[in-house]
Amino acid sequence: MSAFDTAIVDERQSFAVSRNVLWPGVALILAFLVGWPLFAPNPFLFTIATFIVLNAIGATSLHLIIRTGHISLGHAAFMGVGAYCCVLSVTRFGLPPVLGLVIGMAGPALLALIIGPVVLRLMGKYFVLVTFLLGEIIRMVFVEWTSVTGGSNGISGLPPLHPSLASPIATYYVCLAASVACVALCARILSSEVGRTIDSIREAEKVAECSGVPVIRLKVSIFVLACGLVGLQGGLLAFFLHYIDPTSFSMVESLNLVVMNVVGGMYSLGGPLIGTVFIVALPELLRGYVELQRVFFGIILIVVMAALPGGMVEIFGRARRLLSTQMDRTAR
Amino acid sequence: MFTTTILGQAFLNGLSLSAIYVLIALGFTLLFGIMKVVNFAHGSFAMLGGYALYYLYGVLGLPYLPAILLSAFGVATAGLVLEVLVFRWFYQKMFQSMIGLLGLNIAIVFTCVIVFDVYERSIPPALDGVLQCGDLIIPTDRLLVVAIAAVVLLAFWAFMSLTRYGLAMRAAAQDVEIAETQGIRTGQIYKLAFFVAIFMAALAGGIYAQIYALSPFMGDRPLMVAFVVVILGGMGSIPGAALGGIIFGFGESFLSTFYGSAVSSFVSFGAVIALLILRPWGLLGVPE
Repeated sequence: MSAFDTAIVDERQSFAVSRNVLWPGVALILAFLVGWPLFAPNPFLFTIATFIVLNAIGATSLHLIIRTGHISLGHAAFMGVGAYCCVLSVTRFGLPPVLGLVIGMAGPALLALIIGPVVLRLMGKYFVLVTFLLGEIIRMVFVEWTSVTGGSNGISGLPPLHPSLASPIATYYVCLAASVACVALCARILSSEVGRTIDSIREAEKVAECSGVPVIRLKVSIFVLACGLVGLQGGLLAFFLHYIDPTSFSMVESLNLVVMNVVGGMYSLGGPLIGTVFIVALPELLRGYVELQRVFFGIILIVVMAALPGGMVEIFGRARRLLSTQMDRTAR
Repeated sequence: MFTTTILGQAFLNGLSLSAIYVLIALGFTLLFGIMKVVNFAHGSFAMLGGYALYYLYGVLGLPYLPAILLSAFGVATAGLVLEVLVFRWFYQKMFQSMIGLLGLNIAIVFTCVIVFDVYERSIPPALDGVLQCGDLIIPTDRLLVVAIAAVVLLAFWAFMSLTRYGLAMRAAAQDVEIAETQGIRTGQIYKLAFFVAIFMAALAGGIYAQIYALSPFMGDRPLMVAFVVVILGGMGSIPGAALGGIIFGFGESFLSTFYGSAVSSFVSFGAVIALLILRPWGLLGVPE
């Protein structure tokens, strides 16, 4: 049994956006992301926006893994490995922060390269379970290895990425640039020959293998790439917060990344992006009564999953179908 | 270090831990096996069981045995409302259920934060006495807990293997469509399985809250343990959950007594990962 409902796969057909809508849309969104700070220079908004663009890195990189048919419940742990590699190389070995970011990407990628060939042979729910346990073990290492990681207190006192980039607005633009680069990379991969191959692995692994696709090698490469990218998020997060501790990389955070993908929609790149905005921004918009806001958040999750099993991207498909049937009717 | 006293104490501790873990994991695996829902809200039902016991036993002062049974019964009955409102949407949808029920968990936990506040409370012990066997000191309320759990588990076993409803449930767990063609009303079976699962979770939650502490967030640990125990035994396998709960309970008790809780967590998680890689369907599960 595959972990996916066939119903979702059918819905996917309707998401294909025609090119003449896609590019102006992307340009519009990018212009908005670059331009809004000029009109609303509000520190609170900067914080939320930085969190959104950072989480977009994690959600889209997880999306790459999900497209191969594997749902990782340990993605935030890899983010943590990246963050700790980055922070330790800067604070302990005095490397320049930019080099630290590179090491923060290399660390989780290396870890993924070691464990990927073993765990990616597991299918469906077993992969979910094993990544969940791996994530917990990695988190326990962060907590228990106090001499290096500082235990539950974490590591604080991180320098800014660059002395000239200390202001919130500069941080936002750095994170935005990294995020756009990551999303663009994922979009390029998914729309290429490799992207088709990835989809074929998810839909019918045996058939793909018989057609000459090096299944395990491709899955490991995607896993390594995705874990490297989420390591970048970890590094940037550390520079943004000037502080890291194990709770930022727990199973709750991994689950959050999965939730972003599932709530948005698992089978197109738009899904995790919509999901990220929704999951990060919604709790902030419902601010006021903190507990009540969490209750609403939970109820909204239930309603979204019950009403739109294919995620929020499904709204567009449904709207379009509704529109076309209406137009058919009026034409008659 | 390995004296009989400490070994005996660790054994007793393992016994009560196993009882709690088996109760929680059985319900979790039952829901997964029959309805294919991953109940991430299981821990919150255990927490509700803890609060129900707190009010019935600690505040109202009912006798212990009726109080704990009534609290589990009450939570399970109230849970049936959620079955109609929430769970019904997610049957046979493993993936959507994970996220949707995670939302339910958040909603329940934070509703409890609003209603009961976040501070930890404690439930008074059921019995004060202590049994002394040589050097071994046995608190009698631990024995009572183990006895209650054993009786409930025995009743569950009898229900599943001796009654027609139990048979119908096992049939539905094996293949829903074929069970339906044989005239089994799966809608009713789902409700029944849900009730039984929540009953056991709430009971275990009451016991857990009594041994440790009661707070709106206490459900996280039982949920995590249920998840790992069910993986260990095999997703959806009922004997597997029982065996997994016993192994995990005793393993945790002995390892944390002798080597500390960090070692215990590393060893148990590492062992489960190794098992998943070599035998992904668990100890007593069936390969697909």
